[in-house]
Amino acid sequence: MSQNVAAVELKGIWKRFPGVIANSDINLKVEPGTVHAIVGENGAGKSTLMKILYGMQKPDEGTISINGTELSFASPSDAIDAGIGMVHQHFMLADNFTVLENIVLGSEPRKGLSLNFDKARADISAISSENGLEVDPDALVADLGVGDRQRIEILKVLYRGAKILILDEPTAVLVPHEVHELFDTLRDLKKAGNTIIFISHKLDEVLSIADEITVIRRGTTVGSVNPHTQEVSAQDLAVMMVGSELPTPETRGDTIRDEVVLAVENLTVLASGGKPIVDNISFQIRSGEILGIAGVEGNGQAEILDALMGLENSTGTVHFKKEDISNMSTRNRRELGIGFIPEDRHRQALLLTAPLWENRMLGHQTLAPNSNGFLLTPGAAKDDTKRIVEEFDVRTPGIDVLASALSGGNQQKLIVGREMSGEPKLLIAAHPTRGIDVGAQAAIWDHLRHAREAGLAVLLISADLDELIGLSDTIKVLLRGAFVADANPATVTPEQLGTAMTGAGKVSA
Amino acid sequence: MNIMRQQRLLGIFGVAIAILSITRTFTHNPDLTSAVTVSQALGFAVPIGLAGLAGIWSERAGVVNIGLEGMMILGTFGAGWAGYQWGAWAGLLAGIVMGAFGGLLLAIASVTFGVDQIIAGTAVNLLATGLTKFLAILLFTDVVGGGQAQSPPIKGTLPSFTIEAISSPLIALHAKDIFIVSDVAGVVAGLFFHLSILTVITVALFVFTAWLLWKTRFGLRLRSAGENPWAADSLGVNVNRYKYMAVTFSGLLAGLGGAYLAIAATIYRNGQTAGRGFIGLATMIFGNWRPGGTGAGAIMFGYIDTLRLIDSDNKNVRGLILLGALVLFVIAAAMIRTSRRATGIGFLLLGGVMIGGFMAASNFPPEVAQVAPYITTLLVLATASQNLRPPAADGVPFRKGEGH
Repeated sequence: MSQNVAAVELKGIWKRFPGVIANSDINLKVEPGTVHAIVGENGAGKSTLMKILYGMQKPDEGTISINGTELSFASPSDAIDAGIGMVHQHFMLADNFTVLENIVLGSEPRKGLSLNFDKARADISAISSENGLEVDPDALVADLGVGDRQRIEILKVLYRGAKILILDEPTAVLVPHEVHELFDTLRDLKKAGNTIIFISHKLDEVLSIADEITVIRRGTTVGSVNPHTQEVSAQDLAVMMVGSELPTPETRGDTIRDEVVLAVENLTVLASGGKPIVDNISFQIRSGEILGIAGVEGNGQAEILDALMGLENSTGTVHFKKEDISNMSTRNRRELGIGFIPEDRHRQALLLTAPLWENRMLGHQTLAPNSNGFLLTPGAAKDDTKRIVEEFDVRTPGIDVLASALSGGNQQKLIVGREMSGEPKLLIAAHPTRGIDVGAQAAIWDHLRHAREAGLAVLLISADLDELIGLSDTIKVLLRGAFVADANPATVTPEQLGTAMTGAGKVSA
Repeated sequence: MNIMRQQRLLGIFGVAIAILSITRTFTHNPDLTSAVTVSQALGFAVPIGLAGLAGIWSERAGVVNIGLEGMMILGTFGAGWAGYQWGAWAGLLAGIVMGAFGGLLLAIASVTFGVDQIIAGTAVNLLATGLTKFLAILLFTDVVGGGQAQSPPIKGTLPSFTIEAISSPLIALHAKDIFIVSDVAGVVAGLFFHLSILTVITVALFVFTAWLLWKTRFGLRLRSAGENPWAADSLGVNVNRYKYMAVTFSGLLAGLGGAYLAIAATIYRNGQTAGRGFIGLATMIFGNWRPGGTGAGAIMFGYIDTLRLIDSDNKNVRGLILLGALVLFVIAAAMIRTSRRATGIGFLLLGGVMIGGFMAASNFPPEVAQVAPYITTLLVLATASQNLRPPAADGVPFRKGEGH
């Protein structure tokens, strides 16, 4: 094979769904033996494009060439035959199967009429030691962690002899050291002559691993850059992705008023063993103030939020605008004007199998526009859902689709839109922009800023330290359930804050 | 691993025999382990076991099959209709075909058209009941020996074997009333006493299913449709084809179970299945969607049903209550050892109450005698099956190309 023949070449790909054009005139050329990154915002059409390349969907127009031969895929098995393998964003594994069963499914070796388990085991061991992907073939997948599951997904693809690997947002579910391991694996795979297509919207990661980067915006390819030969920064890529300057989470001006919206005194939450998870903390948030809580995950953040929303048993007092709400139900707290953006949107914020407008009602089912006090008012709720979709740029074919049909970022936008509706006085927000691309992130920051100017009090928890420092008026550092330091967002750097979070150093107040 | 499993099975079998033996000795009731009882229990277990096995096929492929009862009904009718005209074997074949037709119907509704599986299954049950009643009036009323609700007698029966050389000496040994030895003799003799060919076929089908679903490519793919059809689809497995095959074969097995009922009774009657399809489904659940557990559950149902039917003077009911209490004690002991103390102690107390009942009364009111076997069954099954794990995508509709 000559060097000039592209491993994958897509020309003029179009794909339309009812109400949406997912891909329009996509052109992509991937050189063999490289890591080629495809970046774009949520809903820009990256995943659809990869489904087309993997034969899960058929393009309306356009051609696909693999190693110089034009092919058309009717199903994933055609793509597998052409040497293409896909590592899905949401793992495609049967939990109750063993690692071995998951890997060989669909291409099982046989001995007579039976499945040849011995040969499968030997083959898998060979591939895993060749590529440094250690797994126990006889372990049950249900017992394995995220990193192991991803290794199984990659093994599945290699087992089928794939030379072109598509990884759909592989780092979204990994913690930093797992990302490092994955990148080492990818470099090894590249050395062994494989071609890797890497889809992501995390620009720093893309710059550290990719040999070439193609940017997709609103369903079409807007350009390619080679980070080895061209000077390119995350900022530059973001501009290409969004089509405008990269926003920053800066809040300007002092909007803090005198009125105390939330006063928490001696709040304590006990773990099931009787040990305090939240240990006797007190704080106040005033109207127009954003209070950020910095801390490594698992130091009591989730429990503080749940206690404030009345979802967790706690001791201590909580006053909302001078009213004692310590013993109030969650619904009453919400009716007073407390908005809540939880950590885990699938567990606490959405009904995945309900349409968007029903999700709009959730948590606000007793308030206008969702209810007239006696009956629900779906008509008004639907109109208001349309407003949220419009204002928060939720990319969806309509408000009657199920929440599960939206990408994670768009689900988050819907949640933020819902919780910002009805002019809340206090917003309790955990990672409000987690999993969201830069464009939508900026929009949410804007909404927060405006609401703050109008007097909204915000309790903010975020793992994104830039966001935390940029938005907050005050930052408190949480360690093992107690506040250990205050930080001034005007002067503190993310590095200093990170150190304080681990309890290693002090920050200047 | 395999040796460990063999040892465990042997252990369970040993404990079961010991419990039976103790009960027999205490109640002075040789019926509990006689060859006749065991033979008849196997016969009762066949239709329930086949329904359970049918459930395994369907649900392992991800289709909840509440329509088993209906498919069995179709099987009984098919056996009656063909059986009175062309004999028992033809009846068997017709029952299988009609059951498979019921399965195919469920597959079309739930797989192709995505109808809710519970609703589709219920529809199959209603349809089968109505259709067979209507056809019975249409086809059997004017035939000699037939009626509006039953077929003329089925010609001939299926062969059954008694191997005298084995069973006769063992039956004699059973009569000697020796602790453990007589009970083993009785149980083994029962296996070679009036053994129907269909019992043999059913056992073979259980073994075949266990091998096919867990040891072959076909089985792995079929089960993948019930565990994660989206993953299977992404690997090029034709999920819907496997679901069709599984559900149709499920209907075939249920039809076979129904046909057995009609042929054993030498006649088709409306309502002949008497809920055995549902009992089979329950057995499958207690058996953790696996052939071994399902088979054991079916035998237990068969055994208890037999004791209830051949009961005289409440002797068997008393035996059953003691039996149930002893089984509860064994399970409770196992639980306390594996540090699930609270539940274990609870079962211990329950067993104590049953022993109390056994001691206090030698005669029970007929109502108690009627329900006691079922309560015992329920208690034992509920305690024995604490860690059930259904196929992950059981009952979840699958549409190609859609995420989840």
